Amino acid sequence: MSRTLKIALGVLLIAIFIVGPADLTGFGIPWTGLKRYGTYILTLWLVTAVAAMGVNLIVGYAGQETLAQAAFLGIGAFTTTLLQKAGLPFGLCFIASGLVCFLVGIILGFPALRVQKHYLAFVTLAFSVFVWLVIRNEEWLTGGVNGIQGIKRPVLFGISLRPALYYYWLVLTLTAVLTGMMWWLLRSPWGRAFTALRENSVRAESLGIDVRGYTLMAFAIGSGYGGFAGAMYAPLVEFIDPSPFALGASLQYLLMVVAGGAGSFVGPFVGAAVSVLLPEWLRFAEGFYLIIFALLVMLLMAFCPTGIVGLFERLTTKARRPHADDKGPTLGTGTGSTTVAGSKS
Amino acid sequence: MYLKSTVAAVLAAAAWAMPASAQDNTLKIPGVLELSGAGAISGTNFRDGIVMAIEDINAAGGVLGKKLVFETVDTASDPGKARAAIQRALDDKPTVIFGPVFSGSVNATLPMTNEAQIPQIIGGEAANITSQGSKYIFRTSFGQNVSMPKIANYLRDGVKAKSLAIVYVNNDFGKGGRNAIMKELESRGIKVAADLSIEAGQADFAADVVKVKAASADAVFVYLNEEESARFLIEAKKQGLDKPLIGETTLLGQKVIDLAKEAANGVKGHVGLTIDAPSPLVAEFAKKFEAKFKYKPDHNGMKGYLGAYMFKTAAEKAGKLDPVAIAAAMHGLTVTPDKVPGILIEATWDDTGEIDRISYLAEVKDGKQVITQTLPKLK
Repeated sequence: MSRTLKIALGVLLIAIFIVGPADLTGFGIPWTGLKRYGTYILTLWLVTAVAAMGVNLIVGYAGQETLAQAAFLGIGAFTTTLLQKAGLPFGLCFIASGLVCFLVGIILGFPALRVQKHYLAFVTLAFSVFVWLVIRNEEWLTGGVNGIQGIKRPVLFGISLRPALYYYWLVLTLTAVLTGMMWWLLRSPWGRAFTALRENSVRAESLGIDVRGYTLMAFAIGSGYGGFAGAMYAPLVEFIDPSPFALGASLQYLLMVVAGGAGSFVGPFVGAAVSVLLPEWLRFAEGFYLIIFALLVMLLMAFCPTGIVGLFERLTTKARRPHADDKGPTLGTGTGSTTVAGSKS
Repeated sequence: MYLKSTVAAVLAAAAWAMPASAQDNTLKIPGVLELSGAGAISGTNFRDGIVMAIEDINAAGGVLGKKLVFETVDTASDPGKARAAIQRALDDKPTVIFGPVFSGSVNATLPMTNEAQIPQIIGGEAANITSQGSKYIFRTSFGQNVSMPKIANYLRDGVKAKSLAIVYVNNDFGKGGRNAIMKELESRGIKVAADLSIEAGQADFAADVVKVKAASADAVFVYLNEEESARFLIEAKKQGLDKPLIGETTLLGQKVIDLAKEAANGVKGHVGLTIDAPSPLVAEFAKKFEAKFKYKPDHNGMKGYLGAYMFKTAAEKAGKLDPVAIAAAMHGLTVTPDKVPGILIEATWDDTGEIDRISYLAEVKDGKQVITQTLPKLK
């Protein structure tokens, strides 16, 4: 794909994301947009993708394991809700949610200095259960099993973001900012260090990378993304209770990242799409959709452990190979290698 | 590469979001129900009850000339998903919405149907559902605010208990019931000897039964969902717990009896709705339901069935398929089985959507629920 084509496609895609759910009949375009529910699902997909992005940083880039993302989502959601009820504007609540989760991530990730991988997974598993129990039993704070109702959507420059489409645009903007930050982070020396840790931590350490420090940072930043996602989740659903923050949901975030393609930048978006949209597509199957979903994941893992993005890559590189051979790119000429780079970037 | 997969995802999302075309002579009835997760038993029963009622209604000509088409969405017993599902249903501007059955999901969704002015016929029993001022919420069974005073009276007059151990499931249903009965016990001079919460989905009740035994109360009030009720009864029998086990509807339900088998024998309590009610209509309903779905319905099956008939009656009273008019027709509506056999037992709805109807005291004997006394309507 040539560079201009890529940019054009990128711009088109951004345009689709911005105006896609909107009603364009007023502009003479025969597209009535998405209904409230369609917009809701699209927004939920973005929120889920932000949380999954955090998991991807921890799992896909730093090579650790986390089973607590839903708990961080919960901390973020309740932080935003409680601060909002105390009268703070959404912007502050949002930043506070991310910050609180980042700090909790540092405290919780501290055992990561001693334990790694599966052991870290156990630490996060225990934490996940702990947070869920707190949310459920501390009724004075969280409303317990009855949850908290009537969470307000934010007001920006005097405009209420109560309509689904306006709130979608806010979430889209925040997601774009968070995605940009993640992109920058992964391309910074930090990101390189994370990848080095995942590939070979002993060698990374021998190259002077502070393994413990970077692991902790990856975990805390990833958890912070969970907090940001939670801050957007609460006003989206306008109601929170303990169930979306239970252990099962944490497992699902991990599953999303693995199914999407761990360590791939768009992996979390694809994984979140599978998790949020697939139940919609499989609705015709009624009670069987969970079975179908589980089977699909099992097949995917058995035959393509690099996830859906990996599967796509495999298919596209296979299709292109003869084409590339025809051109006969030689090392060092510089021009012929674009196909390979294009498929991996 | 990323672009490609993202484009694919967007196209797929757009394809899915295309609106479905409406048909003329049918009326879509959305059901937002617990078809998986902790509420699966209740939700499936409720759904099948509606399915059966709608088939009967359609065979008899439908509602105001329109055939009903029932479409269910699974909430996975999750209030957040229930909200999304209700939103989806509301986008199609329905005339009525059925479900959810779990009170938590009802509480999370009732402001939405109230705002959209669409009647919502529910299975939830939490006391606070009808006290929030929604003009569009309608119960199909007693709220805990109605059933708990009846249980408390029974504990005082029937069981003659001076102290009580309470075992409740730690969710909105269990906690709501526990809080409601606590209030009633105090004024009747019954002391609470033990107050135990158990988890939804809990499998091992050994420690809980030990605690109940240690409390040595005159009676034990068991307020759990179906599967937990059965597991508790089995463990209670195993440990030889010899105090009267008292329940409300669920504990004496068919599903619990099926699961707990002989361990359910001897359980007593109050039942709002039961297929063992001394009524030929109910017996016929139960027989037909079992023949159709190959399992015995519980009270939730009856709730779904009579809920559909309640909607039909109200729509015909309103004379048009207008949600606001239908909701208005439901308030103060009394439906009697001699005019509408599908209602099974005479029922009245008040201005808050609360239901009033006769109820029963019952006991489980030889794997069957036996009615021992019929309690009159409140008003």
